[in-house]
Amino acid sequence: MIKQYQINYTMKNDEFYIGWMEKAPQGFAKHIKKVLLILLVAVTIAALLLAFSQKQFATGNFEFGKLTEVKGVYFNDPVPFLKAVNGKDIFGHPSFITIPLIGFGKTGAAGAIAAIEKQKNISLNRKQVTMRGTLLYNDGKLLMQIDANDPIVVEIGADAGNALLPVVSNLGEQVIHGEIVDPKCFFGVMKPGQGKPHKDCAIRCILGGIAPVLKVTDKKGNENYYLILGANGEKMNEAVKNFVAEPVSLQAKVVQYDDWIILYVKEKGIRQFSYIQEHFGGSIASCNPTCMK
Amino acid sequence: MSASYTAVGWNRQKKHYDWLIFGFCILYLIIFIGVTIIYNPQYTFETVLIRSAGTLAILLLHIILAIGPLARINKKFLPLLYNRRHLGVTMFTIALVHGSFAILQFHALGNTNPFVSLFTSNTQYNSVAQFPFQALGFFALVIFLLMAATSHDFWLHNLSPKIWKTLHMLVYLAYLLIILHVMLGVVQYENNPVFVCMIAAGALTLISLHLIAGTREVRKDNQLFNLKEQGYFFVCNTSEMEESRAKIFCIDTERIAVYKHGGKLYAIHNVCKHQGGPLGEGKILDGCITCPWHGYQYLPGNGQSPPPFKEKVSTYDVKVADGKVWLNPAPYPEGTERAGAVI
Repeated sequence: MIKQYQINYTMKNDEFYIGWMEKAPQGFAKHIKKVLLILLVAVTIAALLLAFSQKQFATGNFEFGKLTEVKGVYFNDPVPFLKAVNGKDIFGHPSFITIPLIGFGKTGAAGAIAAIEKQKNISLNRKQVTMRGTLLYNDGKLLMQIDANDPIVVEIGADAGNALLPVVSNLGEQVIHGEIVDPKCFFGVMKPGQGKPHKDCAIRCILGGIAPVLKVTDKKGNENYYLILGANGEKMNEAVKNFVAEPVSLQAKVVQYDDWIILYVKEKGIRQFSYIQEHFGGSIASCNPTCMK
Repeated sequence: MSASYTAVGWNRQKKHYDWLIFGFCILYLIIFIGVTIIYNPQYTFETVLIRSAGTLAILLLHIILAIGPLARINKKFLPLLYNRRHLGVTMFTIALVHGSFAILQFHALGNTNPFVSLFTSNTQYNSVAQFPFQALGFFALVIFLLMAATSHDFWLHNLSPKIWKTLHMLVYLAYLLIILHVMLGVVQYENNPVFVCMIAAGALTLISLHLIAGTREVRKDNQLFNLKEQGYFFVCNTSEMEESRAKIFCIDTERIAVYKHGGKLYAIHNVCKHQGGPLGEGKILDGCITCPWHGYQYLPGNGQSPPPFKEKVSTYDVKVADGKVWLNPAPYPEGTERAGAVI
């Protein structure tokens, strides 16, 4: 059956708009002015709402463009770091700070250190050195970026011997819930340096050799940070790839190295930690008080 | 209306349109960036840039998608439709700033090519919660790039209106990708419900506008009229016809515009060759049927664009008897001369 129907689109007035004419008819122009006024209000409200609704930016700092010289003892293991004097304790003894080293961009420090050692034909491990780099810091943690394009090592001194070896204490085996982040972005370079928006970047940084860190938030909202290594001290960078920037649970041997804590993750000791478990399972992201700072 | 490339001519309306786009974008950026910097002293430049550009691009995309149905519902919105492609190119440029800085920030200076990193860093494609949302934004940006690059009429003529229109309808796929990009990305980080509410409100508004515009046409389409004689359908009385204006009649699936001009009635196919605009909603200016969307013109007697332009549409027989208008829906080849029916 043929279906026939009619559409009555006849305009009620004689005004007709064409874009290539110099001016729009008055009726159209008046209408558009009203629309523009509404749009002005809508755009302003949208900008204000979106800007005010963002989470507060993190307090981390990255001293971009500023090079600082740090004197200390260099250690290759468990991750490349400098142990430097950081004032004195209440008894007047020097207190130390551990400064993990990271490379330029999304790379670890190992490559830059190896290049220096090869060039100077010397092992830097346990040597007193003065290094130049860019500091980044947040929440009591200090890291330093070293860039192969800058002269990293200013001075190489004598072997430090055993005097400044890290104070190590075993805190036992624990199951710890948290989020794996890359410390470079998290402690200063990027905001946010955690969560889903930063996931790809964190993975790229960790795959580039930056040691992964577990960020743990306790019931009071305090955050603690733990370096992640394999059960025998091997790198976990590849192994954590599918666990970055999401709730995870780590079963690990917890070892204190001076002012950092290292998690030696047991074989198959890493798994996703579900949101439901986290919020309704009664085990909020936390760890034993002995491993809290 | 030429198939060769000609630079865009900026008339007064175009200039106003572009200045308004510029003004609104600057206003948005000043407010967003200003509030963010004041409210977050710890801000970083890259993040503020990525966020301000991203949110502005999404806002513009919503406005772009709303203009079409609004112009169908109320003709007074047509001035926004005419230069909509300028808004589209602006939106793409801002989205490109967002995408470029995001790729630079999240994927550059690593151990692999940034574009390879985009697809291989997070490979949890089988997880909803952990889905690599940046890839979705990248594909949307590619669609916007194709649309912006082919926005000039040069491409419309060379690709053919059908292919061009199909390509530009991909904006709806891009919109879906953008919604997923936001929902699987930043919404999983930000805990303020404003973001979800705004995305939901935007999507609901667009869906509603499209449904209202579509429903109106369907309702009109369902007005049945069955009187038929020797291939001709009775469509209306001559007294209902306005000089230099048309009525549109849909027989089977073809819409035909019947125009009154100089004491005669002429019938042509309702679909403009440019972008499918409704010719029957236009007006005769300087003796030419003028499309309401972009001002393309056709002669009522033969459906041809006046020389040197080459667009043609089908013509139809129309006759008048006892004050009644009769229309034969059998089309003549495009550009066929018809004498018109004397009223």
